Amino acid sequence: MSRVDTLPGVAPLRRVAAPVATPLALVGLVLLVVGTLLPWAGFAGFPGALSLSLYPSGSRLYVLVLAPALLLVLTRFTRRREAGLAASLGLLAVVVQTMIAISQAGGGFVNVSAGAEVSLVGAVLGVVAFLGLPDDAEGGASVDQPAWPQLPAAAEVAGVLVALAIGLGLVVYATLHVDAPSQFIGFTLALLGATVALNRLGLFDLLGTLYARRHTWTLVLMAVAAVAFPFTQNGTSYWLRVAANIGVFAAAAIGLNVVVGLAGLLDLGYIAFFGIGAYVAALYGNAGLGPSRGHLPFLLVVVLGALLSGLIGVIIGFPTLRLRGDYLAIVTLGFGEIFRILMNTFDRFTGGPNGLANIPDLKQGSFDFGLPHTVLGVQLKGFANYYFVELILVAVLMLLFSRLNDSRIGRAWVAIREDELAAASMGINTVSMKLLAFGIGATLAGASGTVQAHVATQVSPDSFVFLNSVFLLAAVVLGGMGTVPGAVLGSAILLAVPEKLRAFQDYRLLIFGVALIIIMRFRPEGLIASKRRQREFHEGGGPAGGLAGPPGSVVS
Amino acid sequence: MQQFLQQIADGIVLGALYGLIALGYTMVYGIIQLINFAHGEIFMVGAFGGYTLYTYVLPASTPTYVALVLVLLVSMLTSALLAVVVERLAYRPLRNAPRLAPLITAIGVSIALQESVRVFYPNGSQGKPFPALFPRGTVDLGGVTLSYVRIFVVVLAIVLMVALQTFIFRSRTGRAMRATSQDPDTARLMGIDIDRIIVTTFVLGGLLAGAAGTLQGLIASPIDFHIGFLAGLKAFTAAVLGGIGNITGAVLGGFVLGVVEALATQYVPNGSALKDVFAFVVLILVLLFRPTGLLGESVRSRA
Repeated sequence: MSRVDTLPGVAPLRRVAAPVATPLALVGLVLLVVGTLLPWAGFAGFPGALSLSLYPSGSRLYVLVLAPALLLVLTRFTRRREAGLAASLGLLAVVVQTMIAISQAGGGFVNVSAGAEVSLVGAVLGVVAFLGLPDDAEGGASVDQPAWPQLPAAAEVAGVLVALAIGLGLVVYATLHVDAPSQFIGFTLALLGATVALNRLGLFDLLGTLYARRHTWTLVLMAVAAVAFPFTQNGTSYWLRVAANIGVFAAAAIGLNVVVGLAGLLDLGYIAFFGIGAYVAALYGNAGLGPSRGHLPFLLVVVLGALLSGLIGVIIGFPTLRLRGDYLAIVTLGFGEIFRILMNTFDRFTGGPNGLANIPDLKQGSFDFGLPHTVLGVQLKGFANYYFVELILVAVLMLLFSRLNDSRIGRAWVAIREDELAAASMGINTVSMKLLAFGIGATLAGASGTVQAHVATQVSPDSFVFLNSVFLLAAVVLGGMGTVPGAVLGSAILLAVPEKLRAFQDYRLLIFGVALIIIMRFRPEGLIASKRRQREFHEGGGPAGGLAGPPGSVVS
Repeated sequence: MQQFLQQIADGIVLGALYGLIALGYTMVYGIIQLINFAHGEIFMVGAFGGYTLYTYVLPASTPTYVALVLVLLVSMLTSALLAVVVERLAYRPLRNAPRLAPLITAIGVSIALQESVRVFYPNGSQGKPFPALFPRGTVDLGGVTLSYVRIFVVVLAIVLMVALQTFIFRSRTGRAMRATSQDPDTARLMGIDIDRIIVTTFVLGGLLAGAAGTLQGLIASPIDFHIGFLAGLKAFTAAVLGGIGNITGAVLGGFVLGVVEALATQYVPNGSALKDVFAFVVLILVLLFRPTGLLGESVRSRA
């Protein structure tokens, strides 16, 4: 049973479709493909050239690429029904969304041409066909999926390489070639359908297994892909600026993930620690805006910002961490507000509401971070320099995070998170462990804040409002509490997607609030689930999926 | 001296509002151990409910007193209804989830409500002048000046608080609420419908928050989509100050916090700029020295 089956009217539809599922899916596939060759928009100028015929572009391209997923009906995969449903619902969503966008842009439904309608029928047939299939085998992929045989190292590394190349290709395509918001939504819907379908088929389990087997290689290749990103931007700086912001944000999110994801402490004033680092950099870094007009070397500034921030974290945490966890949320929230109001008020040092502006770019020796540099014949704009620095920062934090997670300290945190009383009875000093988590989180936020001051070139109290703390929290929650890639992915999504959807900027926060509710309701473990966390959130819900890893794999 | 008394009087008016909102926090926390971050927004939406009734529904010829009663009632009902919807849609599905999940959901609800008002209410990002439904005029009590409307705010708040106290300590449902807060499992075994009690709690909290919404509009017009955030935080501080889970404590905490804030704003250098800091300082000090609050018993931890 999938969630769709609980909807009213699905059961009878399913009975009707059952005997003819295969022909339905094949007819649907043909209609979808034929539809993409016909024009969708009755007027020229709609984004993605949807008025041309025999030229599958824009959203039609996504439909054309995703449509072959309907061939799943012919296969014997254990979870083909769920995967097929995901793909065909994704197709339906793309078609419907594009039709709505065309009607809106053209001022009425008459502007939607026959091609879209043909594809719509095809997508509906696909959904009905997969509804008609018998239930997938129970138990989930990790139990009844055959273990992936051990392949030669080269083949496995090649698999990782292909996956990363596809990922990077999608990022480049989305950043440079998808401009209109309607097309971007279509792209996202298609990607979502494809991802869920592939996940149902066990692709991500396979990747997880490959990662576990070829740990070092995967990390190296991921680093290479990350370093390669600036070289794909054709010398433009727009997305490099976004990437630089994502890097800082992700570094802070990893720190918050230690606090929230590992130790289970809800910190709602986290942005203040970030702010402490930023103000330290503005006052004592090469901007020299402090009373002493001093210029400290950048590395010293990072350490100073981190230490000061960590110290204040410990001071705040000490009285509150002895109490029930809920108080921490509200005290940290209060602390965040106090920080902001104080920065606003004491304008002798902080510039008050105007903040500190004109923070110069970093200079290390003769290397100016603000200037473009040419590497391997490609000109990289200034933001790329910050991006590379942040990559190093994020890499260090990732290492730190995973070492902590696997250590005695990490296990103590998990124990406290799950049951503080039991953890204390096991001899864990809960107060000092929680203080440690809180202090480490604050320290990491301070360190990333010092970089932020230079990337943003200014620091002002408005950047450290409560909402930004929630924004960081959302990055952690969306990506996956307790996993490093989760924090990075969450940050990337939260910062990059709004850039593409500027037309909907007014609804940004609303969508964001609703998204928090929906994630907590349906996928509290986030996009990239930590195995531990996943079991925790779904405990008591049938056999613990994920407990049994594929034989021969390292369950970590 | 006169100034001192004036500040205390102003603090009591402020405290009456904090107390009304704090009751909602403390009741919900007492029953399901959830910090309902969205409670401040429930208060805000209540104020908008009353404003909407007056501006778009009531004919201009409605006598002021009738309008006042209707606005107050509609504010209360709006908030209560919203509180129930939020509980049903957002909190109930997470009843048995790990502690963090409902807290994060509550933050999401809070943001979603704020933004819904800003985006969907006509001209929602602007402040709305709340109608002056109470006769102007002031009384002079030995040098302390109080407007009629401020006296009305304190009186109505106290009436509502006494009504709540009576309900909780005299009625059958009130007894069931107290039983649930002490031990939900045993309460269930005694035949108490826990879901109904939780809904009742949200309704009561919503009614009081809605009343506070109208009162806030009367003494601090204009209202906007943002008023719930700070009011909610301070009311929560009041609840903690009084001892969370304790009804009398929330009221006392509200008044104490209101007076402290009024006095500090007056007497601390640069006080008016730091106005919103004092509540948090109080909160941290309370947690440091008397984490159970003024009237609280030791905080139960339910393992």
